[in-house]
Amino acid sequence: MTTRRLTLAIAALAIVGAVIAAYLTWAHLRGFEPYCVGGGGACERVQSSRYAELGGVPVAVIGLAGYALILASLLVPGPTGPTVTAFLAFVGTGFSAYLTYLEVEVIDAICQWCVASAIVMTALAGLAVTRLAAAETVRHDSR
Amino acid sequence: MSLQVRIGALAALALVVVAGAVALGQRSGSGESAAAARRMFAGIPEHGVSLGSREAPATLIEFADLQCPFCATYSRDVLPTVIDRYVRTGRLRLELRVLPFLGEDSARAGAMAAAAARQDRMWPFVDAFYRNQGRENSGYVTDGFLARIAGETPGLDVSLASEDRDRPQARHMLEESDRLARELAADFTPAFYVRRGTGRPRPVQPADLTPDAFTAALDAALPAR
Repeated sequence: MTTRRLTLAIAALAIVGAVIAAYLTWAHLRGFEPYCVGGGGACERVQSSRYAELGGVPVAVIGLAGYALILASLLVPGPTGPTVTAFLAFVGTGFSAYLTYLEVEVIDAICQWCVASAIVMTALAGLAVTRLAAAETVRHDSR
Repeated sequence: MSLQVRIGALAALALVVVAGAVALGQRSGSGESAAAARRMFAGIPEHGVSLGSREAPATLIEFADLQCPFCATYSRDVLPTVIDRYVRTGRLRLELRVLPFLGEDSARAGAMAAAAARQDRMWPFVDAFYRNQGRENSGYVTDGFLARIAGETPGLDVSLASEDRDRPQARHMLEESDRLARELAADFTPAFYVRRGTGRPRPVQPADLTPDAFTAALDAALPAR
């Protein structure tokens, strides 16, 4: 896959992630239960747990900011851009892993939206690393 | 620097950033919650399992298990309103009856709550416990955990409470709560009863654990002003 296609794929995934995070932010701020396939209230339990905020900031807002930053990093020119994108995607993946751990081990409820966001973020990290490698190859070839 | 090393360095740096953000966020969140708890109970007399004036015309009795998530929800979402509107205004006195029936973690938590009650610090202890409530019966209520929660409770002598929790007085307090629960047929938590004066407690059944639903049910159970 070319660097350009990788960039477009990352942008598309980041938009999907941002939409998920925006929906969860909206649900958190308006206080309604996010739609959960099959019901069961797991999303509500996660959203209303004390882990739904970090330092007073809703986790969904942090996610939304993360996806926005990843999108913005695609505009950074030169070899720095792919490095910044990869770093942000790593941070997002680490954060998603921590939240998934909390859901499984502490809150004892799995929110489908959070799982979807974690999958998107992990895929973004994979694509960002591939883009970084591709950009490196192009740089070497052009010397 | 080779690509692999760069990727490894980026991943390690990201890990540090995540760990730092989580630690900072938790510390600041816990500090804010503890400060809010201090404000919530500030200036209200506490005696054993009771919170509020002895002269209040009615008592709201709550049966709770410290591991019960709905009890934590009530404490977080509804209790501040109840304290502000009813306890601070002298209309109501609160009584917290701990029923440790969910398992061993509940029993250990209940014993420590009873020990805190002996120092008239049960309410802030229970509030701190709920803020740190873990997965039910996962064995998280260890000596270290209880000492940490006790340490977060303003005015509680941690070592005295740790000694008291195994003493007969603490056990007696829990047995007394269990006896009252049997008498009232309270077999779930949180369960609420209002006692007017020295009369028999009557159940309060809110439609939901929200401030509006709870205060509506409470108003119906209380003497008219």
